[in-house]
Amino acid sequence: MTDSLFSKGVTEALNFSAVEHLCIGEPDWLRERREHAWALYEQTPMPTTKLEEWRYTDLRKKLQLDTLSLSQATVVPDNPTAWPKPLRKAMKEDRQASGHIVVIDGHVVHSDLEAELIAKGVILSSLHDAIEQHPNLVGNCLATEAVPPEEGKFAALNAALWSDGVFLYVPAEVQLNTPIRVTRWLSEAGVAQFGRVLILAENASRISYVDEILSDDFSEQTFASNAVEIIAKERAQVQYVSVQRLGRGAFYQSVQRTLAHGDATLDTLNVALGASVSRVDLNARLLGEGANSDMLGLYFGDEDQHFDFNTSQDHVSPHTASDLLYKGALDASSRAVFRGIIRVKPTAQRTNAYQTNRNLLLSGNARADSLPNLEIEADDVKCSHGATVGELDPDAKFYLMSRGLSRIQAERLVVLGFLGEVLSKLPLGGVVEKVTRVIEEKLSQH
Amino acid sequence: MSDTHILKIESLEAKVAAENLDILNGVNLEIGKGEVHAIMGPNGSGKSTLAKILAGHPGYEHTAGEVLFKGQNLLELDPDERSRAGIFLAFQYPVEIPGVSIANFLRTALQAHLTEEEELDIFEFSDMLTERMSMLEMDISFAERHVNDGFSGGEKKRNEILQMAVLKPTLAVMDETDSGLDIDALKIVSNGVNKLTEEDPEMSILLITHYQRLLNYITPDFVHVMVDGRLVRSGGPEIALELEKDGYKNWKNSELVSLSNEPDIPKTA
Repeated sequence: MTDSLFSKGVTEALNFSAVEHLCIGEPDWLRERREHAWALYEQTPMPTTKLEEWRYTDLRKKLQLDTLSLSQATVVPDNPTAWPKPLRKAMKEDRQASGHIVVIDGHVVHSDLEAELIAKGVILSSLHDAIEQHPNLVGNCLATEAVPPEEGKFAALNAALWSDGVFLYVPAEVQLNTPIRVTRWLSEAGVAQFGRVLILAENASRISYVDEILSDDFSEQTFASNAVEIIAKERAQVQYVSVQRLGRGAFYQSVQRTLAHGDATLDTLNVALGASVSRVDLNARLLGEGANSDMLGLYFGDEDQHFDFNTSQDHVSPHTASDLLYKGALDASSRAVFRGIIRVKPTAQRTNAYQTNRNLLLSGNARADSLPNLEIEADDVKCSHGATVGELDPDAKFYLMSRGLSRIQAERLVVLGFLGEVLSKLPLGGVVEKVTRVIEEKLSQH
Repeated sequence: MSDTHILKIESLEAKVAAENLDILNGVNLEIGKGEVHAIMGPNGSGKSTLAKILAGHPGYEHTAGEVLFKGQNLLELDPDERSRAGIFLAFQYPVEIPGVSIANFLRTALQAHLTEEEELDIFEFSDMLTERMSMLEMDISFAERHVNDGFSGGEKKRNEILQMAVLKPTLAVMDETDSGLDIDALKIVSNGVNKLTEEDPEMSILLITHYQRLLNYITPDFVHVMVDGRLVRSGGPEIALELEKDGYKNWKNSELVSLSNEPDIPKTA
């Protein structure tokens, strides 16, 4: 592929006719949106390391766009015995849930929701079904307000080529006591997959949503793209958790935006454990007075894994609060990049905004770059940011060993304790245990 | 007594690993089963270095002499092996381990003390921990707090005693356990130690302290004075009282003395 073609990102598989193919049978408004998104995609140059936001992730080296094909997978039956074992295992650990969605190779193959919640008007379905059955609800929000194609190259690509996704709608005052669980499985190597999530929580509703994406290792680079749009209306309480456990060979790319209206609470947790390259762009917008967002992140790298988090906290209204805590441990020659910005508009007086990124290096070859930033235009605010990159404290190791723990046990306890702080802040049933177990597995190879 | 000694230090010399600075210059000491020894000395005399050398701190290096623990060459063991062999060091400055609960820490530690075939029963462990904490008059909620994270000085030292109570060592080395404690905290901590020695009269203790006041609460069988990396005098508790009265100044550069009525206490050379 020549430089200019890479810059455009147009390949034998990713092109306008692929977009047209997806539009077959879809409503006109959606076709227009896809075509518009594709036009933007072609016009937007591929980000290079000359851009501050991509300085440490060189797509020319990390992403082989021209080798990717589009998924050919057929729909797997809605029958767990037909599903891959690791997927079933992951679901088994999802103890309590108000509803489930299972996505295999881009197709939603299963969805269920408690009857009582259906009766109350809660909608949990594939995006395609939602577009057919609730065109207005979906049409108003999909790729418009939260993650429009104008957001960037990958947001445009996803908006043009998404194959399916999840739609969750919670009417006003309806409160779910247990999470919605979404489990996605990818099996095709060498493909590009585009999924979307749209969550709409009406006034004073309450939900938690746990999304887990996983796969085996891939023999060829596989591109998993995800666009997440979350809208919390007034006084709504939303918790969003993403657990990324893709196999090696995966390039995971996720653009997420959360919109918190007046007095809404919209918390997120991004857990990155898998994939060879993982890039997450998260933008939290505190739109309404009194809105609040806790933003949590956790990552554990080994081998040559590369994690890149690009976050922003946008305070637009007064009395808003955001608190970001991203922590990661890096072993072998893995690498993490954290770049975060707090922006406080002049209209957002009496805002509290905090941002912390902490990295623990377990190997001399591991590397972490942390770039916190502030852009404050209001004068009556409390903001702070901090970043640390440190090694395992030898005193802590000696202390634990002096109580009989082996060197490995001591390191494991320190690392789990370090990362556990993040999980303890959003202790959704099952997630803490699952993530802890995966980290322990990774540590056992340390 | 010497037949039943559990710790025997002979002509031990040691230095800070990163520097060429000798700190211990020939320490001789024997500790028998169930004995409580106190080492007193001015700042910089090498007391804490001795404690760290016994526990295997990687920052210190032994250069001569030997240490036998229950007849085993202690200095060739890793810190965790020493712990499993029965040595416990109560730290002067206990380390904070954020995110790790005391209960989880102690469970992992106790499991490490078992053989590979033995599995710690979590219910038995929980009962045992509750019992240990109530013996030390600690609130059970303490076990859910993260190890030393944000603890006051007194809480850190109590946590050391709790670990000692759970791990039940053969020999506990207490490095300046009294430092930074007010009188109430000192009473609580020494009360805990006394309960443990009452419970297990065979447990030996090596107290390392700058001040005599700790010895008002934990009565030693033997007191040693360390100056310039050597034990310059050994005797009974009365030595501590002398020090209280006269301070260490008389011991600096003085000739080495040992009490003739204590023949089993090794003479320092």
